[in-house]
Amino acid sequence: MSGFDIDVGNAISDKMGLEPVQKKYKFAGIVEGVKAGKFDAAVASHTINEERKKHVLFSQPYYYSGPQIFTRPGADIHSADDLKNKEIAVSKGSSYADIAKEHSGQEPKYYDSDVVALEALANGKHDAVVTDFATGAEAMKKKLKIEAQERLGQSEQAIAVSKDNKELIKEINDAIDALKKDGTLRQISEKYFDEDITVKQD
Amino acid sequence: MEMIVLPTFSHFFQTLIDSRGVFLEGMLLTLQLTVISIFIGMFIGLFFALLKISRVAVFGYIANAYIFLVRGTPLIVQIFILYFGLTELNIPDFWAASIALAFHNGAYIAEIFRGAIQSIDQGQKEAGRSLGMGRFLTMRRIILPQAMRRALPPLGNQFIIGLKDSSLAAFISVNELFNIATTQGSNSFDNMTYLLVVAVYYLVLVLLLTFAVQTVEKKLSVSDH
Repeated sequence: MSGFDIDVGNAISDKMGLEPVQKKYKFAGIVEGVKAGKFDAAVASHTINEERKKHVLFSQPYYYSGPQIFTRPGADIHSADDLKNKEIAVSKGSSYADIAKEHSGQEPKYYDSDVVALEALANGKHDAVVTDFATGAEAMKKKLKIEAQERLGQSEQAIAVSKDNKELIKEINDAIDALKKDGTLRQISEKYFDEDITVKQD
Repeated sequence: MEMIVLPTFSHFFQTLIDSRGVFLEGMLLTLQLTVISIFIGMFIGLFFALLKISRVAVFGYIANAYIFLVRGTPLIVQIFILYFGLTELNIPDFWAASIALAFHNGAYIAEIFRGAIQSIDQGQKEAGRSLGMGRFLTMRRIILPQAMRRALPPLGNQFIIGLKDSSLAAFISVNELFNIATTQGSNSFDNMTYLLVVAVYYLVLVLLLTFAVQTVEKKLSVSDH
Protein backbone atom coordinates (compact mmCIF):
# COMPACT_ATOMS: atom_id res chain seq x y z
CA MET A 1 0.00 0.00 0.00
CA SER A 2 1.19 3.54 -0.59
CA GLY A 3 0.08 7.01 0.28
CA PHE A 4 0.33 9.81 2.76
CA ASP A 5 -0.95 7.81 5.74
CA ILE A 6 1.40 4.95 4.94
CA ASP A 7 4.44 7.21 4.78
CA VAL A 8 3.47 8.86 8.07
CA GLY A 9 2.94 5.46 9.70
CA ASN A 10 6.33 4.25 8.50
CA ALA A 11 8.07 7.42 9.66
CA ILE A 12 6.55 7.15 13.13
CA SER A 13 7.49 3.47 13.51
CA ASP A 14 10.96 4.33 12.34
CA LYS A 15 11.28 7.05 14.96
CA MET A 16 10.08 4.61 17.62
CA GLY A 17 12.54 1.98 16.45
CA LEU A 18 9.74 -0.45 15.60
CA GLU A 19 8.87 -2.50 12.52
CA PRO A 20 5.41 -1.63 11.14
CA VAL A 21 3.13 -4.40 9.92
CA GLN A 22 0.61 -3.06 7.42
CA LYS A 23 -2.92 -4.39 7.48
CA LYS A 24 -5.55 -3.47 4.97
CA TYR A 25 -9.01 -3.11 6.51
CA LYS A 26 -12.43 -1.71 5.78
CA PHE A 27 -12.38 1.90 6.98
CA ALA A 28 -15.74 1.57 8.67
CA GLY A 29 -14.44 -1.17 10.94
CA ILE A 30 -11.13 0.34 11.97
CA VAL A 31 -12.16 2.14 15.16
CA GLU A 32 -13.92 -0.99 16.38
CA GLY A 33 -10.86 -3.03 15.40
CA VAL A 34 -8.51 -0.82 17.37
CA LYS A 35 -10.86 -0.98 20.35
CA ALA A 36 -10.92 -4.77 20.21
CA GLY A 37 -7.17 -5.04 20.05
CA LYS A 38 -7.04 -6.21 16.43
CA PHE A 39 -4.59 -3.43 15.65
CA ASP A 40 -2.15 -1.49 17.79
CA ALA A 41 -2.67 1.77 15.95
CA ALA A 42 -4.65 3.12 13.03
CA VAL A 43 -3.00 5.70 10.77
CA ALA A 44 -6.01 6.19 8.55
CA SER A 45 -6.86 9.88 8.49
CA HIS A 46 -9.42 9.62 11.28
CA THR A 47 -10.96 12.97 12.11
CA ILE A 48 -10.96 13.55 15.85
CA ASN A 49 -14.56 13.79 17.05
CA GLU A 50 -16.43 13.31 20.32
CA GLU A 51 -18.13 10.12 19.19
CA ARG A 52 -14.86 8.37 18.34
CA LYS A 53 -13.16 9.69 21.50
CA LYS A 54 -15.62 7.61 23.50
CA HIS A 55 -14.10 4.46 22.03
CA VAL A 56 -10.42 5.10 21.35
CA LEU A 57 -7.53 7.35 22.28
CA PHE A 58 -6.25 9.86 19.75
CA SER A 59 -2.71 11.12 19.28
CA GLN A 60 -2.01 14.77 18.61
CA PRO A 61 -3.12 15.69 15.08
CA TYR A 62 -0.70 14.66 12.35
CA TYR A 63 -2.45 16.76 9.78
CA TYR A 64 -5.09 19.43 9.53
CA SER A 65 -7.68 19.27 6.87
CA GLY A 66 -11.41 19.42 6.52
CA PRO A 67 -14.34 18.05 4.59
CA GLN A 68 -14.64 19.20 1.04
CA ILE A 69 -17.15 18.81 -1.78
CA PHE A 70 -15.93 16.97 -4.87
CA THR A 71 -17.72 16.84 -8.20
CA ARG A 72 -17.08 15.86 -11.78
CA PRO A 73 -15.31 18.54 -13.84
CA GLY A 74 -17.70 21.21 -15.03
CA ALA A 75 -20.48 20.36 -12.60
CA ASP A 76 -22.90 22.99 -11.35
CA ILE A 77 -22.19 22.40 -7.69
CA HIS A 78 -19.76 24.78 -6.05
CA SER A 79 -20.92 25.64 -2.56
CA ALA A 80 -22.73 23.85 0.24
CA ASP A 81 -26.04 25.46 -0.79
CA ASP A 82 -25.79 23.83 -4.23
CA LEU A 83 -25.97 20.45 -2.52
CA LYS A 84 -29.68 20.72 -1.74
CA ASN A 85 -31.53 17.61 -2.98
CA LYS A 86 -28.42 16.28 -4.67
CA GLU A 87 -27.23 12.69 -4.43
CA ILE A 88 -24.04 12.58 -2.38
CA ALA A 89 -21.82 9.55 -1.92
CA VAL A 90 -19.74 9.04 1.21
CA SER A 91 -17.68 6.40 2.94
CA LYS A 92 -19.36 4.31 5.63
CA GLY A 93 -18.23 5.13 9.13
CA SER A 94 -16.87 8.49 8.06
CA SER A 95 -17.66 11.81 9.63
CA TYR A 96 -19.00 13.00 6.28
CA ALA A 97 -22.31 11.17 6.20
CA ASP A 98 -23.91 13.62 8.62
CA ILE A 99 -22.52 16.59 6.71
CA ALA A 100 -23.89 15.20 3.47
CA LYS A 101 -27.32 14.57 5.00
CA GLU A 102 -27.39 18.06 6.48
CA HIS A 103 -26.76 19.80 3.17
CA SER A 104 -28.64 17.59 0.74
CA GLY A 105 -31.59 16.71 2.93
CA GLN A 106 -31.48 13.09 1.82
CA GLU A 107 -29.78 9.88 2.82
CA PRO A 108 -26.38 9.61 1.14
CA LYS A 109 -25.10 6.64 -0.84
CA TYR A 110 -22.71 4.51 1.19
CA TYR A 111 -19.54 2.90 -0.08
CA ASP A 112 -16.89 1.00 1.81
CA SER A 113 -14.21 3.61 1.16
CA ASP A 114 -13.81 7.26 0.16
CA VAL A 115 -11.71 6.26 -2.83
CA VAL A 116 -14.42 3.95 -4.21
CA ALA A 117 -16.96 6.77 -3.73
CA LEU A 118 -14.70 9.16 -5.68
CA GLU A 119 -14.18 6.58 -8.42
CA ALA A 120 -17.93 6.10 -8.76
CA LEU A 121 -18.30 9.89 -8.96
CA ALA A 122 -15.67 10.14 -11.69
CA ASN A 123 -17.53 7.37 -13.57
CA GLY A 124 -20.71 9.40 -13.74
CA LYS A 125 -22.57 8.20 -10.65
CA HIS A 126 -24.06 10.54 -8.04
CA ASP A 127 -23.78 14.32 -7.99
CA ALA A 128 -21.04 14.86 -5.44
CA VAL A 129 -18.84 13.25 -2.84
CA VAL A 130 -18.04 14.74 0.54
CA THR A 131 -14.72 13.61 1.87
CA ASP A 132 -11.50 14.92 3.29
CA PHE A 133 -9.60 17.56 1.33
CA ALA A 134 -6.44 15.43 1.47
CA THR A 135 -8.17 12.25 0.24
CA GLY A 136 -9.55 14.13 -2.75
CA ALA A 137 -6.23 15.86 -3.43
CA GLU A 138 -4.41 12.52 -3.45
CA ALA A 139 -6.98 11.09 -5.86
CA MET A 140 -6.71 14.08 -8.18
CA LYS A 141 -2.95 13.73 -8.16
CA LYS A 142 -3.47 10.18 -9.41
CA LYS A 143 -5.38 11.74 -12.31
CA LEU A 144 -8.87 10.85 -11.15
CA LYS A 145 -11.29 13.07 -13.10
CA ILE A 146 -12.83 15.05 -10.26
CA GLU A 147 -12.93 18.70 -9.29
CA ALA A 148 -12.63 20.22 -5.82
CA GLN A 149 -15.33 22.63 -4.65
CA GLU A 150 -16.08 24.44 -1.40
CA ARG A 151 -14.36 23.36 1.78
CA LEU A 152 -16.84 22.82 4.53
CA GLY A 153 -14.86 23.35 7.67
CA GLN A 154 -11.76 22.29 9.45
CA SER A 155 -10.80 19.08 11.11
CA GLU A 156 -7.87 17.46 12.80
CA GLN A 157 -6.74 14.01 11.80
CA ALA A 158 -4.93 11.78 14.27
CA ILE A 159 -3.80 8.28 15.02
CA ALA A 160 -6.19 6.02 16.94
CA VAL A 161 -4.99 3.69 19.66
CA SER A 162 -6.81 1.49 22.16
CA LYS A 163 -7.80 3.14 25.44
CA ASP A 164 -5.81 0.47 27.29
CA ASN A 165 -2.60 1.51 25.61
CA LYS A 166 -1.76 4.89 27.11
CA GLU A 167 1.94 4.09 26.82
CA LEU A 168 1.75 3.63 23.06
CA ILE A 169 -0.11 6.90 22.55
CA LYS A 170 2.57 8.72 24.54
CA GLU A 171 5.36 7.25 22.44
CA ILE A 172 3.47 8.04 19.24
CA ASN A 173 3.01 11.64 20.37
CA ASP A 174 6.72 11.89 21.14
CA ALA A 175 7.53 10.51 17.70
CA ILE A 176 5.18 13.01 16.03
CA ASP A 177 6.84 15.84 17.97
CA ALA A 178 10.25 14.69 16.76
CA LEU A 179 9.06 14.32 13.15
CA LYS A 180 7.54 17.81 13.24
CA LYS A 181 10.78 19.20 14.66
CA ASP A 182 13.11 17.62 12.11
CA GLY A 183 10.87 18.46 9.16
CA THR A 184 10.07 14.87 8.08
CA LEU A 185 6.32 15.35 8.47
CA ARG A 186 6.44 18.50 6.37
CA GLN A 187 8.44 16.68 3.69
CA ILE A 188 5.88 13.88 3.47
CA SER A 189 3.06 16.40 3.24
CA GLU A 190 4.74 18.37 0.47
CA LYS A 191 5.37 15.15 -1.44
CA TYR A 192 1.62 14.49 -1.71
CA PHE A 193 -0.01 17.89 -1.46
CA ASP A 194 2.61 20.45 -2.50
CA GLU A 195 1.91 22.20 0.79
CA ASP A 196 2.42 21.58 4.49
CA ILE A 197 -0.86 20.37 5.96
CA THR A 198 0.77 19.05 9.10
CA VAL A 199 0.55 22.43 10.77
CA LYS A 200 -2.63 24.32 11.53
CA GLN A 201 -3.69 26.54 8.64
CA ASP A 202 -5.64 29.77 9.11
CA MET B 1 -6.00 -14.68 25.48
CA GLU B 2 -8.53 -12.45 23.79
CA MET B 3 -12.13 -12.97 24.80
CA ILE B 4 -14.82 -13.07 22.17
CA VAL B 5 -17.33 -10.44 23.13
CA LEU B 6 -20.90 -11.17 22.09
CA PRO B 7 -23.71 -8.73 22.59
CA THR B 8 -26.04 -9.53 25.46
CA PHE B 9 -29.45 -10.79 24.45
CA SER B 10 -31.14 -7.68 25.77
CA HIS B 11 -28.79 -5.40 23.80
CA PHE B 12 -29.37 -7.49 20.70
CA PHE B 13 -33.11 -7.45 21.16
CA GLN B 14 -33.19 -3.71 21.88
CA THR B 15 -31.17 -3.02 18.74
CA LEU B 16 -33.49 -5.27 16.73
CA ILE B 17 -36.49 -3.23 17.85
CA ASP B 18 -34.89 0.21 17.58
CA SER B 19 -33.45 -0.30 14.12
CA ARG B 20 -36.53 -1.83 12.49
CA GLY B 21 -37.33 1.38 10.61
CA VAL B 22 -34.10 1.48 8.61
CA PHE B 23 -33.98 -2.28 8.19
CA LEU B 24 -37.53 -2.50 6.87
CA GLU B 25 -36.58 0.07 4.23
CA GLY B 26 -33.57 -2.01 3.33
CA MET B 27 -35.68 -5.14 3.26
CA LEU B 28 -37.91 -3.54 0.65
CA LEU B 29 -34.91 -3.13 -1.64
CA THR B 30 -33.70 -6.66 -0.92
CA LEU B 31 -37.14 -7.99 -1.85
CA GLN B 32 -37.30 -5.92 -5.02
CA LEU B 33 -33.89 -7.15 -6.11
CA THR B 34 -34.84 -10.74 -5.34
CA VAL B 35 -38.23 -10.67 -7.06
CA ILE B 36 -36.82 -9.10 -10.20
CA SER B 37 -33.91 -11.54 -10.30
CA ILE B 38 -36.26 -14.50 -9.85
CA PHE B 39 -38.85 -13.46 -12.43
CA ILE B 40 -36.49 -12.28 -15.12
CA GLY B 41 -34.10 -15.09 -14.24
CA MET B 42 -36.85 -17.65 -14.88
CA PHE B 43 -37.61 -16.23 -18.33
CA ILE B 44 -33.91 -16.09 -19.18
CA GLY B 45 -33.42 -19.59 -17.79
CA LEU B 46 -36.31 -21.10 -19.74
CA PHE B 47 -35.19 -19.35 -22.91
CA PHE B 48 -31.65 -20.65 -22.73
CA ALA B 49 -32.76 -24.11 -21.62
CA LEU B 50 -34.91 -24.40 -24.74
CA LEU B 51 -32.06 -23.01 -26.84
CA LYS B 52 -29.72 -25.59 -25.45
CA ILE B 53 -31.94 -28.59 -26.23
CA SER B 54 -32.92 -27.20 -29.62
CA ARG B 55 -32.16 -29.23 -32.73
CA VAL B 56 -30.44 -26.18 -34.20
CA ALA B 57 -26.76 -26.60 -33.36
CA VAL B 58 -25.97 -22.88 -33.27
CA PHE B 59 -28.62 -22.29 -30.60
CA GLY B 60 -26.94 -24.92 -28.48
CA TYR B 61 -23.56 -23.22 -28.84
CA ILE B 62 -24.99 -19.85 -27.87
CA ALA B 63 -26.70 -21.31 -24.82
CA ASN B 64 -23.57 -23.16 -23.74
CA ALA B 65 -21.44 -20.04 -24.15
CA TYR B 66 -23.83 -17.97 -22.02
CA ILE B 67 -24.06 -20.62 -19.30
CA PHE B 68 -20.30 -21.12 -19.28
CA LEU B 69 -19.45 -17.41 -19.04
CA VAL B 70 -22.07 -16.48 -16.48
CA ARG B 71 -21.61 -19.51 -14.25
CA GLY B 72 -17.89 -19.28 -14.65
CA THR B 73 -17.40 -15.80 -13.23
CA PRO B 74 -18.24 -14.56 -9.76
CA LEU B 75 -21.46 -12.59 -9.41
CA ILE B 76 -19.61 -9.73 -7.75
CA VAL B 77 -17.38 -9.41 -10.82
CA GLN B 78 -20.47 -9.27 -13.03
CA ILE B 79 -22.09 -6.62 -10.85
CA PHE B 80 -18.91 -4.54 -10.85
CA ILE B 81 -18.57 -4.82 -14.63
CA LEU B 82 -22.08 -3.44 -15.10
CA TYR B 83 -21.65 -0.65 -12.54
CA PHE B 84 -17.97 0.32 -12.39
CA GLY B 85 -16.81 -1.17 -15.67
CA LEU B 86 -19.28 -0.15 -18.37
CA THR B 87 -19.16 3.50 -17.41
CA GLU B 88 -20.41 4.83 -20.77
CA LEU B 89 -23.72 3.03 -20.26
CA ASN B 90 -24.14 4.75 -16.89
CA ILE B 91 -26.36 2.02 -15.41
CA PRO B 92 -27.86 3.11 -12.07
CA ASP B 93 -26.89 1.00 -9.04
CA PHE B 94 -30.22 -0.75 -8.50
CA TRP B 95 -30.51 -1.83 -12.13
CA ALA B 96 -26.88 -2.87 -12.43
CA ALA B 97 -27.46 -5.20 -9.49
CA SER B 98 -30.86 -6.45 -10.74
CA ILE B 99 -29.64 -7.19 -14.26
CA ALA B 100 -26.52 -8.95 -13.01
CA LEU B 101 -28.59 -10.99 -10.54
CA ALA B 102 -31.19 -11.92 -13.17
CA PHE B 103 -28.61 -13.06 -15.71
CA HIS B 104 -26.57 -14.85 -13.07
CA ASN B 105 -29.55 -16.76 -11.68
CA GLY B 106 -30.75 -17.32 -15.23
CA ALA B 107 -27.68 -19.40 -16.07
CA TYR B 108 -28.27 -21.75 -13.15
CA ILE B 109 -32.03 -21.84 -13.78
CA ALA B 110 -31.34 -22.75 -17.42
CA GLU B 111 -29.56 -25.88 -16.28
CA ILE B 112 -32.31 -26.64 -13.77
CA PHE B 113 -34.98 -26.42 -16.48
CA ARG B 114 -32.90 -28.36 -18.96
CA GLY B 115 -32.38 -31.17 -16.49
CA ALA B 116 -36.07 -31.23 -15.62
CA ILE B 117 -37.19 -31.21 -19.25
CA GLN B 118 -34.80 -33.95 -20.26
CA SER B 119 -35.86 -36.09 -17.34
CA ILE B 120 -39.39 -36.35 -18.68
CA ASP B 121 -39.93 -39.77 -20.20
CA GLN B 122 -39.48 -39.94 -23.99
CA GLY B 123 -42.82 -41.70 -24.08
CA GLN B 124 -44.58 -38.46 -23.16
CA LYS B 125 -43.13 -36.68 -26.17
CA GLU B 126 -43.92 -39.62 -28.43
CA ALA B 127 -47.47 -39.74 -27.13
CA GLY B 128 -47.95 -36.09 -27.91
CA ARG B 129 -46.54 -36.40 -31.42
CA SER B 130 -48.58 -39.45 -32.15
CA LEU B 131 -51.67 -37.48 -31.22
CA GLY B 132 -50.76 -35.07 -33.99
CA MET B 133 -49.38 -32.33 -31.76
CA GLY B 134 -46.57 -30.26 -33.20
CA ARG B 135 -43.23 -29.94 -31.43
CA PHE B 136 -44.15 -26.62 -29.88
CA LEU B 137 -47.55 -27.76 -28.67
CA THR B 138 -46.13 -30.94 -27.19
CA MET B 139 -43.56 -28.93 -25.30
CA ARG B 140 -46.10 -26.41 -24.08
CA ARG B 141 -48.95 -28.79 -23.11
CA ILE B 142 -47.19 -31.98 -22.10
CA ILE B 143 -43.49 -31.65 -21.37
CA LEU B 144 -43.16 -28.25 -19.71
CA PRO B 145 -45.98 -28.63 -17.17
CA GLN B 146 -44.46 -31.88 -15.94
CA ALA B 147 -40.94 -30.47 -16.06
CA MET B 148 -41.97 -27.47 -13.99
CA ARG B 149 -42.99 -29.75 -11.15
CA ARG B 150 -39.67 -31.56 -11.25
CA ALA B 151 -37.83 -28.24 -11.36
CA LEU B 152 -39.46 -26.86 -8.23
CA PRO B 153 -37.12 -28.20 -5.51
CA PRO B 154 -33.90 -27.10 -7.24
CA LEU B 155 -35.64 -23.86 -8.29
CA GLY B 156 -36.59 -23.18 -4.70
CA ASN B 157 -32.95 -23.65 -3.82
CA GLN B 158 -31.91 -21.19 -6.50
CA PHE B 159 -34.45 -18.62 -5.29
CA ILE B 160 -32.90 -18.77 -1.83
CA ILE B 161 -29.45 -18.33 -3.33
CA GLY B 162 -30.76 -15.37 -5.32
CA LEU B 163 -32.17 -13.79 -2.18
CA LYS B 164 -28.84 -14.01 -0.37
CA ASP B 165 -26.89 -12.94 -3.46
CA SER B 166 -28.79 -9.65 -3.38
CA SER B 167 -26.52 -8.67 -0.48
CA LEU B 168 -23.71 -8.09 -2.98
CA ALA B 169 -25.59 -5.02 -4.23
CA ALA B 170 -24.32 -3.31 -1.07
CA PHE B 171 -20.92 -2.99 -2.69
CA ILE B 172 -22.30 -0.67 -5.34
CA SER B 173 -24.10 1.49 -2.78
CA VAL B 174 -27.60 -0.03 -3.03
CA ASN B 175 -29.10 0.50 0.42
CA GLU B 176 -30.44 -3.01 0.92
CA LEU B 177 -30.29 -5.09 4.13
CA PHE B 178 -26.55 -5.81 4.23
CA ASN B 179 -25.52 -2.24 3.45
CA ILE B 180 -27.82 -1.00 6.22
CA ALA B 181 -26.24 -3.49 8.63
CA THR B 182 -22.67 -2.41 7.95
CA THR B 183 -23.54 1.29 7.91
CA GLN B 184 -25.40 1.15 11.23
CA GLY B 185 -22.74 -1.12 12.65
CA SER B 186 -19.92 1.24 11.83
CA ASN B 187 -21.84 4.32 12.99
CA SER B 188 -22.33 2.73 16.39
CA PHE B 189 -18.94 0.98 16.47
CA ASP B 190 -20.86 -2.24 17.01
CA ASN B 191 -20.74 -4.36 13.87
CA MET B 192 -21.47 -7.68 15.59
CA THR B 193 -24.92 -6.77 16.92
CA TYR B 194 -26.08 -5.37 13.60
CA LEU B 195 -24.71 -8.35 11.69
CA LEU B 196 -26.71 -10.65 13.98
CA VAL B 197 -29.80 -8.48 13.49
CA VAL B 198 -29.52 -8.60 9.71
CA ALA B 199 -28.93 -12.36 9.88
CA VAL B 200 -32.34 -12.61 11.55
CA TYR B 201 -33.94 -10.63 8.73
CA TYR B 202 -32.43 -12.92 6.12
CA LEU B 203 -33.52 -16.02 8.07
CA VAL B 204 -37.10 -14.76 8.16
CA LEU B 205 -37.10 -13.99 4.44
CA VAL B 206 -35.66 -17.39 3.56
CA LEU B 207 -38.27 -19.04 5.78
CA LEU B 208 -41.08 -17.22 3.96
CA LEU B 209 -39.59 -18.09 0.58
CA THR B 210 -39.23 -21.75 1.54
CA PHE B 211 -42.82 -21.83 2.75
CA ALA B 212 -44.04 -20.28 -0.51
CA VAL B 213 -42.17 -22.83 -2.62
CA GLN B 214 -43.43 -25.72 -0.50
CA THR B 215 -47.00 -24.46 -0.90
CA VAL B 216 -46.64 -24.42 -4.68
CA GLU B 217 -45.09 -27.89 -4.60
CA LYS B 218 -48.04 -29.23 -2.64
CA LYS B 219 -50.56 -27.66 -4.99
CA LEU B 220 -48.87 -29.12 -8.03
CA SER B 221 -48.69 -32.58 -6.50
CA VAL B 222 -52.48 -32.79 -6.11
CA SER B 223 -52.59 -34.72 -9.35
CA ASP B 224 -50.52 -37.46 -7.75
CA HIS B 225 -53.44 -38.69 -5.62
